[in-house]
Amino acid sequence: MDRRTFVKGTAAAAGASTLSGRVFAQAAAPDKIRFGYAITQSGPLGPGAESTSISQYKLWQKRVNDAGGILLKKFNKKVPIEFVSYDDQGKPDELLKLTERLIQQDKVDMMLGPYATHMNLAAAPIITKHEYPVIMTTATTAKTYELAAKWPYAFWNISQPNESAHPLSNALGQLKKEGKVTGRVAVVHVALEFGVEMHAAFVEQAKKDGLEVVLSKSYPLGSADLQPLIREAMATNADAFVCMSYPPDTFMLTEQCQIVGFNPKFMYVAVGGVFPGMKDKFGSKVNGILVYGGVNPGEPGMAEYNKAHQAMFNRGSEAGALNVYGALQVTQQAIEKVGEIDRKKIRDVIASDTFPTLWGDLKYVNQRNASPWCVGQWQNGEVVGVYPANKAGAKALLFPKPAWS
Amino acid sequence: MLEVLLGGLLLGGMYGLVALGLNLQYGVSRVLNLAYGEFLIGGAFIAFFTVMSRWQLNPLLSLLASVPIAFVLNWLIYRCLMLPLVKRAPDQDALDADVVLVTFGLFFVLQGLALVGWSGDLRGYSFLAVANPFLSTHFGLMIAQNRLLAFLGACGLALALFLILRHTRVGSALRAMTIDPVAAELMGVDVRKLSALAFAAGGALAATAGMLVSTFISFSATTGVEYTLKALIVVIMAGVGRVTGTLAAGLLLGVVEQMGGYLLDPGLTLAINFGLFTLILLLRPTGLFTRA
Repeated sequence: MDRRTFVKGTAAAAGASTLSGRVFAQAAAPDKIRFGYAITQSGPLGPGAESTSISQYKLWQKRVNDAGGILLKKFNKKVPIEFVSYDDQGKPDELLKLTERLIQQDKVDMMLGPYATHMNLAAAPIITKHEYPVIMTTATTAKTYELAAKWPYAFWNISQPNESAHPLSNALGQLKKEGKVTGRVAVVHVALEFGVEMHAAFVEQAKKDGLEVVLSKSYPLGSADLQPLIREAMATNADAFVCMSYPPDTFMLTEQCQIVGFNPKFMYVAVGGVFPGMKDKFGSKVNGILVYGGVNPGEPGMAEYNKAHQAMFNRGSEAGALNVYGALQVTQQAIEKVGEIDRKKIRDVIASDTFPTLWGDLKYVNQRNASPWCVGQWQNGEVVGVYPANKAGAKALLFPKPAWS
Repeated sequence: MLEVLLGGLLLGGMYGLVALGLNLQYGVSRVLNLAYGEFLIGGAFIAFFTVMSRWQLNPLLSLLASVPIAFVLNWLIYRCLMLPLVKRAPDQDALDADVVLVTFGLFFVLQGLALVGWSGDLRGYSFLAVANPFLSTHFGLMIAQNRLLAFLGACGLALALFLILRHTRVGSALRAMTIDPVAAELMGVDVRKLSALAFAAGGALAATAGMLVSTFISFSATTGVEYTLKALIVVIMAGVGRVTGTLAAGLLLGVVEQMGGYLLDPGLTLAINFGLFTLILLLRPTGLFTRA
């Protein structure tokens, strides 16, 4: 048998087996629901993906399966979840190949999202093409406002740059009016799309709020020493320090501010600020630091979730991961409402209903989360949601940030 | 300004520190070990678990475990994986090609194991994260103690290595091997045994560097490769097999990066790094500190 006949034969066999699978599915309930995802496990973004997304996928799978699975009304049967996953190595082209593979070759029933803004954006058109509804949990870019309409199967869960940056500026503007800060703000950002967009959104709003941006600089991802930058910020006599940062630098900025004794009254770090590693490393010094994303620790079911998380990973959960867990809960609830794996119907349910989750009630308007947590703060050793201030469970801003020592 | 310069020196010390072991492995054992950074991260993890353990020990104590472990593992890697390649290679070029493939594979295996064992979480701990009190009160310079420690470690290790190479019998043999392994063998040097020793020592240096660096830079199971690349740049800048040159090249890189970032823009540090690297490759392709 030459290679070509072999390939043909295999293809035919594969076709036949799927065909028989389909026929079988009409007669009886599926014995599992297969979720596929390609996500970054190696490379610089690997740690963030692990902490924020992958851990939640695994925990959700375990908790749902421990409870018997996802209820499919049509068959009146609970069906367990199975995962098929690949490492996209942080490369968008790899992600696209793997997503095609998951859908066309592995023939998964549902898809889960990748990690990081550019990867979410890369995945959105392809899952729309194949009509797989996916809630994107790690994308923050001004582009979603225009792109949501183009890609009806992609949902956007977290706050976008304007929503995240404006409350910071508004709060500082208010504090200035009350005479509590000078209004002099030092802003630094990581030279990535996220940092650039957050920075632009903040600086623009700061002008409207009567603030004075006295330092505005970028640095490359993975810088080995940010002390000179902090010293410059210190030299400007700014009493607010806003860092549109990424995980490794978030830690370094926080540590080096302590080393040089820079004590802004108002300090913000972005991605990674909610990692439990912050508290492990800095202890009670984290209190008062504002961070990207938030959570209401009083949400019903939180205690059980925390317990399960601790048991599975031997560490506390990350507040930023709750948005991912919330999205998984939405997916499950939508499937249960539809009662079978009909992706078109599941998409329509996600697009129209409201879903109670650990990350608050989630409702999507034009596929964008209508009211995501935008800004959190470390208070008494845990991350709480601060803005939007009118959201259920929002805590008051702790001001001024306590000095480091 | 002075503080930026000092910061650059400290950063450069770290680069030199990271590259020392690789240069020993590449310069003496003639093995370009792409899995080098994994041993560095291994040292960092052992330090992390030492600090985070129930007894919250000093991370320096972790060296008691990580150095012997790295030494033995690297010795085994050389004996079991590299030696067969060395034996069959007709010349250095062929050996380089084989070794790069094998150590690249080794890198994937080790990183995979690290991911499974330690997950991909970002780790870090606080150790000596204060400004040096003497420098801050007398000169108003804010220099982090943990970075200072890594710098002193780098100088100490480079000096020790230098003295060993200059003034001991083994050192002379190692230097002879760097210059001409065939001639060294003809003079009665046991090249295979000493290559394994140098390779193992390089691994131990990597673990030490990992511990020192972990006191001020967060890391994860997958950050090892970044250090391999940094170390490679420094080694090539310095010249293969130059120990004190490695430290000097590291210092140069650190100072140029830091001053450039300060005087021009922090966003340019990477460009400055690679610009310097390219310049040196163009002007002195065999390295800054090799005698032509």
